Amino acid sequence: MMSIGEGIFLFAVAVTMAGALTAIFASSIVHAMLGLIAAMFGVAGLYVYLNSTFLAMMQILIYVGAISILIAFAIMLLGQYPRKSRNFRGILKLLSSLVISLVSVFMFIRFVMANLPKGVAPNFAMTARDIGRLLTDQLILPFELISLLLVVAIIGAVMLSMNSRGDK
Amino acid sequence: MSDLLYNDSNIYLFVAVFMLFCGIAGLVYRRTLIGMLVSLELIMNGAGLNLVAINRFISPENPYGLAFTLIIMGIAAAESAIALSIIIIIARRYKHIESGDMKELKY
Repeated sequence: MMSIGEGIFLFAVAVTMAGALTAIFASSIVHAMLGLIAAMFGVAGLYVYLNSTFLAMMQILIYVGAISILIAFAIMLLGQYPRKSRNFRGILKLLSSLVISLVSVFMFIRFVMANLPKGVAPNFAMTARDIGRLLTDQLILPFELISLLLVVAIIGAVMLSMNSRGDK
Repeated sequence: MSDLLYNDSNIYLFVAVFMLFCGIAGLVYRRTLIGMLVSLELIMNGAGLNLVAINRFISPENPYGLAFTLIIMGIAAAESAIALSIIIIIARRYKHIESGDMKELKY
């Protein structure tokens, strides 16, 4: 008998996988973006089941709120361009991509699944306070480097789009 | 309690490797640059899910995986901003965004 929690968990897993498949096989790029958003929401649900609700909120805020809106803006700005181009490559590329991906799945099943510890899942109660302690104590250098990276990315994006306005 | 479905690490890792699968397939299979960027975001998401699942089931006494997932989110935001501005420049110059025809810097 499946409980309600397990049902919701399976729903999150199904939303994630269906969203990922939609994101790569949809013929329209807008549908692909919507599939990506569905996959991100599913991953946020899985984060809740992994006892890390802070990360679930950050997933919704950053990925769903920022990155997909950025992609939507790019699709709207380039609205006339992708229409003339075909969306997919040939069947040979599809076969090669399937081979690459199946090798990764095989490696997962063969090596990772065999070495995981079995038994009772341990308790896991990390709050946002613990993450903040770790980020400002031991991981202070990567934390500051992320802020530097974001500043460089913002300035770089502005400079790229400003300097290319003149030439055709 | 531990025989519940969501207390098994294999399902999370399988979802993560499935997202990696879809990301690689889309990266090779899509022609347009925005489609490739969507696939790249899928790969980043799968990596984050993988780190959190490993942190929760293998070493639950410290939150390193959660912190690294936050860092991955920051890197993904910066990367997509830069990539989209480059895509807009490419669309202005070439009048399309197919990846196969951009070979000026290839050789």
